[in-house]
Amino acid sequence: MPQTPQFTILKADRLIDGNGGPVAEQAAILLEDDAISRIGTRETVHAPEGAPVREIDYGDATILPGLVDSHVHLIGIGDGRAGDELVTLPDEILTVQAAQNARRHLYSGVTTVRDCGAKNRTTFLLREAVEMGILPSPRLLLSGRPIAIIGGHLSYFGIQATGPTECRAAARQLIKEGADFIKITATGGSTRTSHPLRPSFDVDELTAICEEAHKFGKHAAAHCASSQGMVNALDAGIDTIIHGVHKEADGSDVYRPEIAERIAERGVFVNPTLAGAVTRIRMLENEPDLSPSQLAELDAMREASQVRMENVARMIDAGVVMSAGSDTAWGYYQMGDFQTEIEAHAMAGMSNMDAIVSATRDAAASCWVQDSVGTLEPGKQADVLVVEGNPAQDINDLRNVADVFLAGSRVDRQALV
Amino acid sequence: MPPTADYTLITADRVIDATGSAPIENGAVLIRGDRIVGVGRAATVAAPEGATVATNHYPGCTVLPGMVDCHTHHNGFGDGRAGDELTLLPDELLTVQAARNARASLFSGVTTIRENGPKNVTMFRLRDSINAGLIIGPRLHLCGRPVAIVGGHMGYFGGEVTGPTQARALTRQLIKEGADYIKITATGGSTRTSFPLRPSFDVDELSAVTHEAQKFGKLTATHCLSSQGIANSLDAGVDMIIHCAFKDADGSDNFREDIAERIGEAGAYVNPTLHVGRSGAWTLAHKRDAEGLTSQEATALDDARRSIEVKLEDSRRMIEMGLRVITGSDSSWGNYKLGNTVYEAELLVQAGYSHMQGVLSVTSWAAAALGMDDEVGSLEPGKLADVLVVGGNPAQDINALWNVQEVFFGGGKLERGSDESLRAVRQQPAAL
Repeated sequence: MPQTPQFTILKADRLIDGNGGPVAEQAAILLEDDAISRIGTRETVHAPEGAPVREIDYGDATILPGLVDSHVHLIGIGDGRAGDELVTLPDEILTVQAAQNARRHLYSGVTTVRDCGAKNRTTFLLREAVEMGILPSPRLLLSGRPIAIIGGHLSYFGIQATGPTECRAAARQLIKEGADFIKITATGGSTRTSHPLRPSFDVDELTAICEEAHKFGKHAAAHCASSQGMVNALDAGIDTIIHGVHKEADGSDVYRPEIAERIAERGVFVNPTLAGAVTRIRMLENEPDLSPSQLAELDAMREASQVRMENVARMIDAGVVMSAGSDTAWGYYQMGDFQTEIEAHAMAGMSNMDAIVSATRDAAASCWVQDSVGTLEPGKQADVLVVEGNPAQDINDLRNVADVFLAGSRVDRQALV
Repeated sequence: MPPTADYTLITADRVIDATGSAPIENGAVLIRGDRIVGVGRAATVAAPEGATVATNHYPGCTVLPGMVDCHTHHNGFGDGRAGDELTLLPDELLTVQAARNARASLFSGVTTIRENGPKNVTMFRLRDSINAGLIIGPRLHLCGRPVAIVGGHMGYFGGEVTGPTQARALTRQLIKEGADYIKITATGGSTRTSFPLRPSFDVDELSAVTHEAQKFGKLTATHCLSSQGIANSLDAGVDMIIHCAFKDADGSDNFREDIAERIGEAGAYVNPTLHVGRSGAWTLAHKRDAEGLTSQEATALDDARRSIEVKLEDSRRMIEMGLRVITGSDSSWGNYKLGNTVYEAELLVQAGYSHMQGVLSVTSWAAAALGMDDEVGSLEPGKLADVLVVGGNPAQDINALWNVQEVFFGGGKLERGSDESLRAVRQQPAAL
């Protein structure tokens, strides 16, 4: 039996479609079932003659694409605990936490997330729970466990591979379990047994993973906390470079323009993850009495954050496309606050509009889902965010969420059951 | 959010303290921290001079203790799926569902639950998640896995044992993991490989469990779908009889007054679980009204209707005999979803309790059945400040318990989310 289509018209003073063009004024968007049907002005957008339609006029507000956060860790708690500690929690608890985080992020306006690493099968099981209707969630793009070297960053989540054969097998295993993309840690990171300033895998291993992912139409994203990791990942045909930190093996900050050029040339995305530091800096700045070690931490973070932002600006000048991804809930940065990452992109020198594009169109493109989400265009999924004010003028208006639509359905952001 | 004032004062048209006293008209409850410090007429209850007080006045409402549900299955969906199917789901997913059920029940006014059988360690993990501050949920009284015979009811949850030694070992294991009481399936049930009309364990095995539990100060409860299981449980000194179906091995309904008398003499509690059958019947009736029933379903509806009548009648007799019959919903089992505990209390009123007794059956009596009456179940100074505010007067109409206006949990006012989402939890009745 054919269902009667459900029409919804959203109207607002402004609309940002995610493509970076000028803000549309006196805008309206028609949603038909789960898809966007038409975009125009308050006067020109109507439902088909005689069809029942729900209409909401938000007035002095802006309609945007639902945000796409290209880097989350759903199982994270964001209370400063190290991943080495987090991983000691049982999988059941981590999945419960992931459910909380998914809800929180959705209610804050994020309609698609790419999870860049979880323990064992927790996020795959979360997806099962979402499909069963147990909880509300953004669209989930999952990697399952990151592929790491022995002792490498995030290796405690369950995959340590050595050599191209094991790497290939790991990629196949993840894809079998339902991975939408493959996350690789191409350098060490915060993991205690890892070496952030050194590359982890050799290029043959990285290549094995990237080729296997591409064979099945999946993309690969590599964590790179130092420069040689980026070089190796580029050699292997990576699709997204995460963090994209320009650091030498001795820890010195050296911006390597040739790396940026290669990134730009190949159309590889960079997910700079700037707001983890911004969040921690703001936390420390709000502490009344800082201990000497906290003061030292604050100074170091300010300096590192400054360098990272300058390098992001240089990469953008070199033509690199940035994909906004928060890296929540890692470190002290909790989910439900992707807005701070977008704000940090603006702090690094992007226009507000470009920062928004990095969190919508470009984030979707980096996740290989640009055909269905990321911009407001007829035929795409009706994932819509409505905020009060005008984020093209004040990026913090992204925090003033009025409504969130996921696949054409209004999200009850007060629902707690 | 903890209150910023020193004290929280709750006033309403009446307070039911659930001690068995008459409702206090124009009553008040005073809270400090997570404890109740005063209960009485509003004119007589006040914080000390100079203290800051957050005052909450609820005109037209009744203040009573948060509800205590003696029988839940937090892994469950209440969508009619069999336990045999439920248990195939991964533990992580069942824990996520348990978290959602925990919110659904807490927001409906149930502040303490006794969980009657989850898979593996899922409920202990849920408790860990609550204690870690990741999520909220009611106070949990847990058994871990039910103790079952090989192939017995709920054996699929992970607790199959044979003989007194294994029974004793599993009891110790569960207590080590954090069990607050021990659940045993003393007859078969809906589990496909089990025999509901037959006892499962022999008395020596049941006694091994009860003895071990008593040693560590833990209570025991047995699932009994037929009379011999009840008799065996009483022989073993079990503290609560669940379902308490008086059925002979041939399936005939036969109220055994002799066994009922023994329950009374032993002082064991009875959890008759009346609504779980009615919820299944409602589901069929909804289908009947919407699209019609197959002949098989029509027979099932007839059977369910008859079964409800028998269970109501048996409960009526047990209530008349003065047995300690309490509310335990059995949700989310069968078609009964968590968040709907009131339906069970309402059926106990239909079975012969006064409305006030119905309230007691889901507050102080239920807390006593769990051995938690020193902490919860009534509004008395020193007890935990789990306080429910409902519109109307449940002492006159038990269904007033549906009109939840506010829930205070450990002294804090709960953020319960949108009305729409709360309404969606409620299951709709059907004409049978």
